[in-house]
Amino acid sequence: MVSEFNLNSEVKNDCVVINTSGYINNLGGQKIIDEFNSHYQNGVNNYILNLAGSKVVNSIGISFLIEVIEKLNESKGKLVFTNLDPSVDKTFMIMGLFHYASKADTIDEGIKLFDSKE
Amino acid sequence: MVESENTNSIIERLELQVNSFQEGFKILSDSKSLDEIGEHFTHLLRGNLLLTDINLFYRKNEKSEWENLFISNNNSKEYLEYLKISDTFYLNYENEKKYKVYSTIRCIDNSYFGLVIGSKIDQSEFNSVDVIALQIFVRLLENAYQSFVARIKEKNLIFSLNHKVLQLNSLVDTGIEISKLENNTQLLELALERAVALTNASKGIMRIMRDDRVIASLRLPNTINIAEALKSTDKIETTVDYKGYSYIVTLIDKESREGTIKFDETDEILLSAFARQVYGAVENRELHKEALENETLKKELSVASSIQKKIIPESLPLIEGYDLAGINIPSKEVGGDYYDCRVLGNGKVALIIADVTGKGVPASLLVSTLSASLHAYLEMNIPLDELAVKLNKLIYQSTPSDKFITCFIALLDPDTGEMNIVNAGHNPSLHLKKEKVLEKIEAGGVALGMFDMGLPFNSQITKLEKGERLLMFTDGIPEAMNDSDEEYSDERLEKFCTDYCFHEANLFVSQLVADLRSFTKDTPQSDDITALYLIRK
Repeated sequence: MVSEFNLNSEVKNDCVVINTSGYINNLGGQKIIDEFNSHYQNGVNNYILNLAGSKVVNSIGISFLIEVIEKLNESKGKLVFTNLDPSVDKTFMIMGLFHYASKADTIDEGIKLFDSKE
Repeated sequence: MVESENTNSIIERLELQVNSFQEGFKILSDSKSLDEIGEHFTHLLRGNLLLTDINLFYRKNEKSEWENLFISNNNSKEYLEYLKISDTFYLNYENEKKYKVYSTIRCIDNSYFGLVIGSKIDQSEFNSVDVIALQIFVRLLENAYQSFVARIKEKNLIFSLNHKVLQLNSLVDTGIEISKLENNTQLLELALERAVALTNASKGIMRIMRDDRVIASLRLPNTINIAEALKSTDKIETTVDYKGYSYIVTLIDKESREGTIKFDETDEILLSAFARQVYGAVENRELHKEALENETLKKELSVASSIQKKIIPESLPLIEGYDLAGINIPSKEVGGDYYDCRVLGNGKVALIIADVTGKGVPASLLVSTLSASLHAYLEMNIPLDELAVKLNKLIYQSTPSDKFITCFIALLDPDTGEMNIVNAGHNPSLHLKKEKVLEKIEAGGVALGMFDMGLPFNSQITKLEKGERLLMFTDGIPEAMNDSDEEYSDERLEKFCTDYCFHEANLFVSQLVADLRSFTKDTPQSDDITALYLIRK
């Protein structure tokens, strides 16, 4: 069953990878944007949100993700979602997140997306 | 206060600022946040009216407090008391005070901007052009804010519409997904996850109850304390009852960006829809399982039926001086009834009737074992009581303890009519003697395969005189039920035997079945109907 939300982050090839696990709700969304802001303030513009451990997300959680996307759009940054559960993938598609963010199967493939644009 | 200038001069100067107004509106309208609107507005005023001390405040409604939006000088807050809430726009000019201009602007969503402006850089008074330009910029601020609010509303509307599409889509998808899941726990977990996520619940619990006792529970997240979580006053709940189990789904603490809010009607509809889906999926699975089991049973019965058909003789041997008829009508479930008649090498005739416990393939296989071993032993010419002991041992060793066979064997000497009989726990056969005297042949012992304790089987010798008859039958005849749950009974069978002495054995058997049918009418046959009828001519 779905666990409490948790995250950690690492820097890989000039991009920040945020790994999450558990329910992305108000609490989870807030933790994601706090983590994002801590790197964004330092000028990091490329992010991978690796949701391998999160297969349940609600619309409050999504609103935080949209906030991240909007900020990155303003600064010409980029967000890539990786390891999406099929139901989360479909949720993001319906909510329009892929209009302004990309997705990849794995973190390594996500990093390649940054390389190919640069 | 305001200089008097001629109208033409004012128009000329304002015309020069037209581009500035247009550009200003674009900048304000492009603002992505309220803070940006405040910042851009104050920059525009500063550039166009040569002002430095510009302070902009904002309040969400009449009751809320003023918040700083853009502050040049903290002293400006002293002038907040002059900012009156008014439905009409006003600009106050107070050349005598430190802060010369203050205004309250009511916005489209009933929020307010408060504007407090200090002296111009050159300390000159606000002239007519300044006043008009200021009024225009304030209107631009109002319009830009209106546009900003509209954009937020549009964004929220799109988000909300997308979320409704997501809810509907997820409802359909979940129905399909849970119907594919083999495991009940996975099915319930998935339904709970979807119900929690789509209603923005913070937590979800599913309790499975039987007889008012919780026998299992699921929770999301998996670390919550169920008892504590259920204490929340902000929750919705639904219950599905199925086959003695109650599935109670509780969603707790609906989330918003600002905190917890009340669940609404849509949430309750969604929860109820998910519950119905779970019910439908569980019920469909049960029905599918039953259908498969029925199919398996049908196949098994078909196999059992074909085994039984092969064992029971298609025709009986002709015995000079005798008329013999037999019948076996299997019930739907195919029992383990069996009869046979075999002329042995020594000229004697073995008449056998048996009933195996249980139904279906296992019973048919046991009948098959009995038939094969009986034929082998009969040809060995061993006494019937010894034969019964051997059969008992064989059946006991080759079957589970709950399987046994009742069996009646009559070894007839056709020349004399003498019958050596053994009865292994079977119904007593009926010997109709002269003068319509009916004798029950009880001889024997316990059913074959029931015990292996060396219990004896006592054979009995009797004689079938000319004109006398013998009816061997299984319990499917006296125990046949009608729709009032009454049995055909031994008494009725015995009366039928004495009342109807047809000349032909076949006729007796067919009339017996007809009498049985007239008794049971439309009540389904629950056991095999089997009989052997012998008349000595």
